[in-house]
Amino acid sequence: MPPSAKALLEVQELHVSYGRIRALQGVSLAVPEGSVVALIGANGAGKSTLLRTISGIVRPRRGTVRFLGEDLVGLPVHQIVRRRVVHVPEGRGMLARMTVLENLRIGGFARRDGAGKARELERVFALFPVLQQRRGQLAGSLSGGEQQMLAIGRAMMAGPRLLMLDEPSLGLAPLIVREIFRIIPRLTAEGTAVLLVEQNARMALQCAAYAYVLQTGQVVLSGPAADLLANPEVQRAYLGAGAPS
Amino acid sequence: MPDLAFLAFLIADGALAGSIYALVALAFVVVYKASRMMNFAVGEWTMLGARTTAMASHTLGLGLAGAIGVGSVAMVGLALFFNRVVLRPLISRSLLSLIMLTIGVGMVMRAAATVVFAGIPARVASPFPIEPFVVAGLPVSLDKIAAAAIAAACIAALSWFFHGSRTGLALRAMASDQQVALAVGIDLHRHFAITWGLVGVLSVLAGTLWGFVSGGGFGIELLGFKVFPIVILGGLDSLPGTIIAAFAVGILESVLAGYLDPIVGGGFSHVASYVMLIATLFVRPWGLFGRPDVERV
Repeated sequence: MPPSAKALLEVQELHVSYGRIRALQGVSLAVPEGSVVALIGANGAGKSTLLRTISGIVRPRRGTVRFLGEDLVGLPVHQIVRRRVVHVPEGRGMLARMTVLENLRIGGFARRDGAGKARELERVFALFPVLQQRRGQLAGSLSGGEQQMLAIGRAMMAGPRLLMLDEPSLGLAPLIVREIFRIIPRLTAEGTAVLLVEQNARMALQCAAYAYVLQTGQVVLSGPAADLLANPEVQRAYLGAGAPS
Repeated sequence: MPDLAFLAFLIADGALAGSIYALVALAFVVVYKASRMMNFAVGEWTMLGARTTAMASHTLGLGLAGAIGVGSVAMVGLALFFNRVVLRPLISRSLLSLIMLTIGVGMVMRAAATVVFAGIPARVASPFPIEPFVVAGLPVSLDKIAAAAIAAACIAALSWFFHGSRTGLALRAMASDQQVALAVGIDLHRHFAITWGLVGVLSVLAGTLWGFVSGGGFGIELLGFKVFPIVILGGLDSLPGTIIAAFAVGILESVLAGYLDPIVGGGFSHVASYVMLIATLFVRPWGLFGRPDVERV
């Protein structure tokens, strides 16, 4: 069972198919307000599909995605962003020919409160000083780590209640991964819940409160992240225990 | 006429034509940027814009501003209708079939125009005095100057719109990456509609101005053929590139028409832009102002 705190997001019995391929087969999970929930699993387990379904890019065949009690299924993507459910897709999605500042400004597109956006921009710059230094530079000229910071900063500009990060560590050096993971607790401290999809299971479990293990479109295991970290099965399958590293 | 003055005259004349080419080319580029869709019927859209405005002027007895207003409303309506009823259901189809579709729609427009606008003059009379005034021994027509000034103002307004407004920022984001635009909460369909609305307005302005300077004899839908070399030279999705390329093509045509047409027998100026296009494609396949797609992996 998920933790007992009030659920911000509640996914129930989600089924998603791509043609004849069944990507999700009855996935249920919950993200409590202000917490970090990790979703781990092998390539192709359906992790990204789940995020894409929550954010409205993919329509499920069956199931509900309740956010603050409201079912998001069937809403267009921009309506979901307006409810402050924000998705940082895998691969960072830079608007390469636009400047860092323009990328950040477009992140706040869905909201109308100018003052809120200005405050958010200050927060982003405080969290990622390098973005402030490079605000006039084209996003395509940033390093991979800086691009990931920009992707997260851009999502923050929407003022997310729920932030979904898809593989933030992908292709980054360990030192930079650590730097990026360091900011996740600071996000939750300010009231943003995080749903984190990662192949780097150790990193994800260390920073999450609760976690789900996805395998071929189904949740095969879930529990407090600390328990999963100690679980021998999880260690063998996802943490590389016993294998020479 | 002294040689240098003749050249100056040709360049000025070409730049005037170029300003109108730029408007038509921008109507193409605005849609392409947002949706990667190539509208091969921009010439026909411009023709329709000109004739709708002319109809408003001649049958309703409106002045120039009123006719442009009515024409814009009608053309924006048509463009939004086309986008919503024809394009939107086909949005997931192959780009190639959409392009073919625009060509077909262009043919329908030509045919329909001959029926709908039968017996109505094809252009709005220019409100400016016909008598050219003479500067340094060269005739300068007020029509053309006014047309160029209006075109330049439109180009400036459009540039501001893209770089200074919230909607412009969203359109540029869509041009850069639609998935990202979607993820930050941009309503793509709404913004596709906005680009088509711009096509409606630009078609009226470009068509009407072209009527001022061409005297109406020229088949206006052929403007479309001038636009393809311009947008490709301009790099397809660069607004400044498009504007510069439009002026370059206008000036090139005018200069070649002045110097070569008397020798080679006329008409070479019309193919000049295509020769320039082919030469450019050999050297810089991404156009003079476009950028090759380089991605950091």
